[in-house]
Amino acid sequence: MSANRWFATGNFFTTYKEEQRIFLTNIDRLAFALFLAALFIWPLFFKLSNKYMLVIDNILIAIVAIYGLNLVTGYAGLISIGHAAFVGVGAYTLATFSQLLGDSHVVITHAWPLMILVSGCMGAAFGAFVGLPAIRIKHLYLAIATLSFQMIFQWVINYLKFFDQGQTIYIGRVRWLTGFVGRDEHYFFWYYVIMFLVVVMGFGVRNLMRTRYGRCLIAVRDNDRAADAMGMHPGFTKVYAFALAGFFAGVAGALHAYLYRGVGIESFTLHQSITYLAMAIVGGLGTLPGAFFGPIAIRLLDLQVEHLAEFAGTILTGAMNLATALKPLAFGFVIVLFLMFEPRGIANWWRIIRTYLKLWPFRY
Amino acid sequence: MSYFFQLVVSGIVVGSIYALSALGFVLIYKSSRVLNIAHGQIIAAGAFITYALTVWAGISIYISFLLSVVITFFLAMSVERIFLRRLIGEPIISVIMVTIGLMSIIDGLVYLTPFGTENFSFPAFLPKTPITFGGVSISWTQLVGVIITTILIASFSWFFKRSTIGVSMRAVSDDQLASMSVGISVPKVFGLAWATAGLSAAAAGSIIGNITGLNFDTLHAFGITVFPVVILGGLDSIIGAVVAGIIMGLIQQFAAGYLDGHWGLYGTADVLPYIILLVILLFKPHGLFGIHEIERV
Repeated sequence: MSANRWFATGNFFTTYKEEQRIFLTNIDRLAFALFLAALFIWPLFFKLSNKYMLVIDNILIAIVAIYGLNLVTGYAGLISIGHAAFVGVGAYTLATFSQLLGDSHVVITHAWPLMILVSGCMGAAFGAFVGLPAIRIKHLYLAIATLSFQMIFQWVINYLKFFDQGQTIYIGRVRWLTGFVGRDEHYFFWYYVIMFLVVVMGFGVRNLMRTRYGRCLIAVRDNDRAADAMGMHPGFTKVYAFALAGFFAGVAGALHAYLYRGVGIESFTLHQSITYLAMAIVGGLGTLPGAFFGPIAIRLLDLQVEHLAEFAGTILTGAMNLATALKPLAFGFVIVLFLMFEPRGIANWWRIIRTYLKLWPFRY
Repeated sequence: MSYFFQLVVSGIVVGSIYALSALGFVLIYKSSRVLNIAHGQIIAAGAFITYALTVWAGISIYISFLLSVVITFFLAMSVERIFLRRLIGEPIISVIMVTIGLMSIIDGLVYLTPFGTENFSFPAFLPKTPITFGGVSISWTQLVGVIITTILIASFSWFFKRSTIGVSMRAVSDDQLASMSVGISVPKVFGLAWATAGLSAAAAGSIIGNITGLNFDTLHAFGITVFPVVILGGLDSIIGAVVAGIIMGLIQQFAAGYLDGHWGLYGTADVLPYIILLVILLFKPHGLFGIHEIERV
């Protein structure tokens, strides 16, 4: 029990409750609060162009999606090759409302927080359905179930007239307290919404891992027989993991639909699923910081690859669209190299830097 | 009625090629418990190598078929050697994710070549008039494809049943520790399993490429259909792969023949295998011939 929460050093705990605190010292808490404040204030001072704001919004949406993938692949140890399809379920929930009610119906423009929630729940329902075989089987068969869900999803969207066969379905502008969000402030507005959700959900995931509902995921991943003996049901735990992942994916999908003001199949393909997986692996599976580092790293890599493809396109005349070739290549190599040489991802580098700085200038 | 038999014939043709390609997948799973997600891409790569050798290098198609099979044999072996050998002992989940990465890499490499965007078809080297028998016709390409596939599957099953290497492969799939203790090199067997899988994948890819033409999306879809086939047959059963391959071929042909165009449906052959997969996983997760692992706590 440290009397002074400001200058506590070392790891000395007398209760488990103390050990599980998110912030060990008040300095940590202050630094985090300042960091959060900076995240929310900077757009007021630096007006970025829409192009860069879109990139940042995209990263934030990917973070929401990766929370989910990280839960299912990192914490629960199940491979999901269909995460983009779950994101797509969220987006197409919105598209369904848009098709049924019209793209600027009150439900879509005014009740958008509700729509985001509904999309999340739809994602959760589909996630639970795909995870259902886990009750009967063990091992990693579920990877194939998620892959087949991805294929079914793509087929349904591409072949059904109701979804315009994968063509873009428009979503109307949303209304905020002061009126409809215009073109100029669109990305700015959504930055705040998504940032808010990223923070809230981040705390949600962090807290989930302190409760039995989150810890059972890790228990089942590490040793399902022991988990069974401790009174958890490994099968239902896996289904639950998929449902959770589906929820985060659904929310990310709804945000994606609102941000782009439209839904099209090209954002939810198998390649996109692999990109999400790359984000989770590069960030660090089974760690919360990984959910932030992964999307940032992969989106930056994505931009670099696009620049490179453009640059190469100016030199090699008559070449095909290099970006379509270089992106899978780069993401594939990133996945393979990280798994081979740094399976714990960028989050591990972050951990090393933190422990180094904590003790600095001493070595140990 | 002849329409029905026509569908049966083409179903068996496609199904036998599914069987051949599923064989390689099952082999890798049996020996190392790894789901090779990149298997579809290896199939496509095999087809493209055959085409490149035949048309661009101008080699006779028979020789280039053999060459492509040999090249893919060594290619798959080196993939195992470079990427997967150092992951032996790591959790299986990371090995499977490496194969997902490989899938992406091969996709990227194919998109770099003209095969990624354009359509090609093999030059005709067999008589063009199909053989007709009681209203049911089968083209020479299909017939030769089925014959080659049957020969390959038969020789594979002989290989596993009788040859020393085949027996050691089965031993490794049964118990790695025990097989190590009798002097089998487990990493070598893994390498060989990948190489054999690459071989059968390249053969299957070349044959299907001859029948349907070379289009990356089509070959890709064909490759991914291997997953429903192996799940239906049972992941660790070679007989299961063969039977399920033919069943899946028949289902696809019947779906395309009878369901498409009715009730506003079309393209059902592309989606039905995956729906079957999900249903099978729910109700009979070990497939038709898979081994039930009974495990109670």
